[in-house]
Amino acid sequence: MNELERKAAGPHYVLRWLPHDGGVSQDAYLSLAAAFAGIMQHEEACRQDGQAQPLPPWDITLQSPGCDAPNARPRYVYHVNARAAGGGGEGTEESPWWGLVTAVEQLTRLDRVGQIKLRAGQTVRLAHHEVFTTTSNERWKRVKENLARLVFLGTALALIVPMAAILIYLLVQAWPVLSFSFLVQNPRDYMTAGGVWAPLVGTFWLVWLSLLIAAPVGVLAGVYLNEYARNNWFTRIINLAVVNLAGVPSIVHALFGVGAFVMFAGMGRSLLAASCTLAVMTLPVIVTSTREALAAVPIAFREACWNLGASRWQTIRTIVLPNSISGILTGVILQVSRAAGETAPILFTGAVFFSTLPEHGVQAFFPYGLGDRCMALSMHLFTLSTQVRGATPGLQYGTAVVLIGLVLAVNSLSIGLRVYLRSRKKW
Amino acid sequence: MDCAIQFNNVTASYGSKTALREITLGVPAKQIFGIIGPANSGKTTLLKCINRTLEFTPSARVSGQVVVAGRDVAGFRNVYELRRRVGMVFPLPVGLPLTIYENVAYAPRRAGMHDRGELDALVEQCLRSAMLWDEVSDRLDMLGTRLSGGQQQRLTLARALSHRPEILCLDEFSIAIDPITTMKIEDVLLELKEQITIVLVTNLVQQARRLADRTAFLSDSRLIEEGETEQIFTQPANRLTERYVNGEFG
Repeated sequence: MNELERKAAGPHYVLRWLPHDGGVSQDAYLSLAAAFAGIMQHEEACRQDGQAQPLPPWDITLQSPGCDAPNARPRYVYHVNARAAGGGGEGTEESPWWGLVTAVEQLTRLDRVGQIKLRAGQTVRLAHHEVFTTTSNERWKRVKENLARLVFLGTALALIVPMAAILIYLLVQAWPVLSFSFLVQNPRDYMTAGGVWAPLVGTFWLVWLSLLIAAPVGVLAGVYLNEYARNNWFTRIINLAVVNLAGVPSIVHALFGVGAFVMFAGMGRSLLAASCTLAVMTLPVIVTSTREALAAVPIAFREACWNLGASRWQTIRTIVLPNSISGILTGVILQVSRAAGETAPILFTGAVFFSTLPEHGVQAFFPYGLGDRCMALSMHLFTLSTQVRGATPGLQYGTAVVLIGLVLAVNSLSIGLRVYLRSRKKW
Repeated sequence: MDCAIQFNNVTASYGSKTALREITLGVPAKQIFGIIGPANSGKTTLLKCINRTLEFTPSARVSGQVVVAGRDVAGFRNVYELRRRVGMVFPLPVGLPLTIYENVAYAPRRAGMHDRGELDALVEQCLRSAMLWDEVSDRLDMLGTRLSGGQQQRLTLARALSHRPEILCLDEFSIAIDPITTMKIEDVLLELKEQITIVLVTNLVQQARRLADRTAFLSDSRLIEEGETEQIFTQPANRLTERYVNGEFG
């Protein structure tokens, strides 16, 4: 049959094999049975050509008529191995058929009893018994690997669910009140209406001020602890202090703030006292994240610099800090969202339920002096939810959306910064 | 003998583990001095005593005296001066995360050299000395960490030469690089010894034989024997040395 005749004959099975002289050969048949017979004919032809080996059985594929996808996974795979022990096998990987003739006989039989069912484009592969056979141990390994991956993926996906649920729930509840004017109006009518401008600005200043205090102290302390401190009792005491400070509940920080800043330092209940309290709360985490970022810079870089006669400070300035700044900044910025969300530390130290502020002009942006008390979003949310009766429906949800939006915005900023700085990382 | 480095009764330990026991040894100036010995025999520790980088290991303690250029190293009030006078090359190449140019200019800059013309000349000279100039002259602003391992080791060598040391210490510089590069660097060393003193710690006994004028053999933190390289290899006074140089133990 030549090419034209095959085309004229309509749908056909395509037989492909890899001949000894390279490349791919193929032929076409009208039925599986004919194709099997075809294999034998090729085999016979090879024998008569006097080739040392007949048709190589290690890669024969038979594709049913229909869509053409030669690289698709075969529907059936049978194996042939002349050196297999025992009599005729099942054609499986473990008990392969022991010759091409047997293979074709068995295939013909299977086809006759209807065990080979091919849909359009599906293939049968007759492969030589693999030299590197998969052991049952390896098969198990793969199963377990896939299982582990699924479990981990599942738990990771489970993280998204609460996040999405919170966001959707809040947005739906807050929808009626959300508008630009909600952001820029002060609360009014005994907080039963209006917007969140005063608490928003309050939170903004609280967070910035606390960061302004905590970031330099935390980062510099982290640099000292990681780069200079020797492992002695003094360092161990500092480490202990940092760890314990991180574990102190925020309400205890609040009481400490009242004692230390409001009363002892004489700040009174004020923006400054509240910021200081927040700073103390965020400090240990900033120290820890700074240390981790610094520790990620390989020690070999430092030793190379020291050997070149660089001082510790020169090494830190030229090599260590430029390569750890992304981690340090990320740690610092993540503390912003924490400080913005905390209610307890500011509760007794500087936050008020209500204060009126100018809504327009420069005064709207700098409404609080350091000694003033201020409103804050987290506190405002608490008040709205528990103390205020007859408020506009959705008001507290609107406040929550603003708070969470603020946190998400800060986190996105931190992610963006990290991506940018990491792209400039140099090893 | 005119000694560039003199160890007097040097003993060093890491915590309870002794790394050097009562080493007394003179390294003559403007020669290559080979130090051989099996693993864990204290070779690297000996090098670290020279420029006091042993101080960076918190548990390390040193006693005895190391004299560099006629001065006790413990007496250098400004340790950076000492480290500038001693160049160090360690087994694994460390390209600093800076450009090739800045890698070499690092030490001079830290030592206060800021004139661009001077720096340019120095960088070129050091890279030429380290046989790296031809390969990188057109991409000096590439990151040093992107070079291949062998190139990075030559970069490390260029960097060690950049502060114009009087003494160059090499600690098994060839274990991470290919034979061709090793041969290139060996040629460089033979040229360099006209000007500076070279201390060569090596695991390759034949490398010491090829390069060193004098050789010391360390074993189990003790100095077993020291002498002319030829004598160490052909007529060692100590049975242990003979077995080591003939590859019978180690």
